[in-house]
Amino acid sequence: MAKLKILEFPDPRLRKKAVPVENVDAALRQLVDDMFETMYDAPGIGLAATQVDVHRRLLVADVSSEKNEPWVLINPVILEKDGTEVSEEGCLSVPGYYEAVERAEHIRVRYLDRDGIEVESEFEGLLAVCVQHEMDHLEGKLFVDYLSEAKRQRIRKRLEKDRRSREEERATVF
Amino acid sequence: MTALKSGARTRAEAARVIDAVVSDGRSLDWALARSDEKVAPADRPVVHMLCYGVLRFHWLLRWQLAQLLDKPLKPRDSIVETLLAIGFFQLSDTRIPDHAAVSTTVEAARLLRRPRYAGLINAVLRNYVRKNISELEPADEEARLNHPAWLIQRFRTDWPDHWRQIIEANNDRAPMWLRINTRQKSALDYQTQNEIDGDLLAGVNGALKLRRPMRVEEIPAFDKGQVSVQDAAAQLAAPWLLARGGERVLDACAAPGGKTGHLLELLGPNAHLTAIDSDSTRLEGVRQNLDRLGQTATVLAADASKPGEWWDGKSFDRILLDAPCSASGVIRRHPDIKLLRRESDIQTLACRQGEMLAALWPLLEPAGRLLYVTCSVLAEENDAVIRKFLAAHGDAREDRVLHDYNIRDLMHDKNSGFQVLPGTQGLDGFYFACLEKVS
Repeated sequence: MAKLKILEFPDPRLRKKAVPVENVDAALRQLVDDMFETMYDAPGIGLAATQVDVHRRLLVADVSSEKNEPWVLINPVILEKDGTEVSEEGCLSVPGYYEAVERAEHIRVRYLDRDGIEVESEFEGLLAVCVQHEMDHLEGKLFVDYLSEAKRQRIRKRLEKDRRSREEERATVF
Repeated sequence: MTALKSGARTRAEAARVIDAVVSDGRSLDWALARSDEKVAPADRPVVHMLCYGVLRFHWLLRWQLAQLLDKPLKPRDSIVETLLAIGFFQLSDTRIPDHAAVSTTVEAARLLRRPRYAGLINAVLRNYVRKNISELEPADEEARLNHPAWLIQRFRTDWPDHWRQIIEANNDRAPMWLRINTRQKSALDYQTQNEIDGDLLAGVNGALKLRRPMRVEEIPAFDKGQVSVQDAAAQLAAPWLLARGGERVLDACAAPGGKTGHLLELLGPNAHLTAIDSDSTRLEGVRQNLDRLGQTATVLAADASKPGEWWDGKSFDRILLDAPCSASGVIRRHPDIKLLRRESDIQTLACRQGEMLAALWPLLEPAGRLLYVTCSVLAEENDAVIRKFLAAHGDAREDRVLHDYNIRDLMHDKNSGFQVLPGTQGLDGFYFACLEKVS
């Protein structure tokens, strides 16, 4: 297993549209394992392949507090959505920012699971929000795109500044 | 996606409050009042618990930090050091599970716009657990005793046999004390009827120590004014004046009004009480407190050291001077005092205390009583002030007869006055000296 590097907004690679996964093979399962490790370590509750610079339609999620309910969604398609819900979202690619975003409350999704078997699941609550958030990534879309232009620019500037100063100051832990 | 947990919010908020005290020199009361306005009621107890705990153990936690970081962070990232201290406190002094303490503190870094420190915080907190840092005994005295060196030295000089007790009490959590209006109901009846788990204190009528603190809204009959929240040491002041209805009584430096309300309860329907304070904002709190208790008094925004500006020329039979002081006796309730007070403040305060005493003395009727009170344990603000005053005023003498013999055991005799040390029977540290005007 390996921890992968997470791209950060405004990295242009986050804007790439992902292509469908063709084979659910050992190599893909390796990627899934690495993505889980990266997500749990961050810590996050969802991660799309786009965020680790792999532009294929694949996402992982786990919204449980014990971190024991992993979900793998390959080539996900939303079949139905209803209701609306506003919740505060954050993103591993936009660290430190939490903003209110409106999503469908309830969704039905068709996807391939980790064994490549086609299944349909219904999601609601936080898991529904998370799946929609990660599916946006596969389209090259970020949650900040739902915010005002001014707000998005402010976040972008702050993150760029953070990144510049990151190299110069790195306190050592021993 | 990342989810925002209330755990991360409370850690981030506690870091902001503590940083306001440590870096900006704000008082904890001020910073918490501002924080309470934006924090959900359910989250406030956690924020308060973290702020009090981390400030109480400030020197130890910073020492532990120095064991794990090879150099301090940049001053503009001081809040990250505060966050680490919050992490250590959770890991060593609370029942929060380690994994929750770590994850919430790491997430809080993101909320505080310091995401690049998430990895560092994670690593330092894990090292804290792995290396058993909480078990290390610092050689440094400030870190071991969690007080600034000058204050430790003062306690040692003033209380050679009791300085350790003072320091231990200062680092303890304070119990919650109620004051029951005994004109309406005895404390024992109040306790029995409301099935309150607590302890009464001999010699302090109406004082009830709760075994478990409760929220003010939960205190039976609080809204009816039958009961107040006040440390039992502070409850010693009003009865000491031996004031009766019909007498003219002055409560100088009255805010927040705890002793004012107590005096009025003791004086009964024929009370003539004037309550003054120079801080008109805090005086509003006195008015609200009296409203709740259903009591009335003449409340004036006035400076006790300048009676020329407000006194109507009619003498008082009794004066209570609860003088502004270092508050070194109530550090357990105000741990920020250890960080905010400077040694040079003590002399300034002592001067001001002497000035107030001298300014109010002419307002006292012959044979009248003036009770000088501080919540300090430092000799310079207490018996030194009184000795100097007695030496300069031939018409003043100290009355050393205690108004209730049961309180004898609480008192440490000073050359002038009496000291209650913090922690004795669960009390705050207070000083009392009763002066009489020789007619």
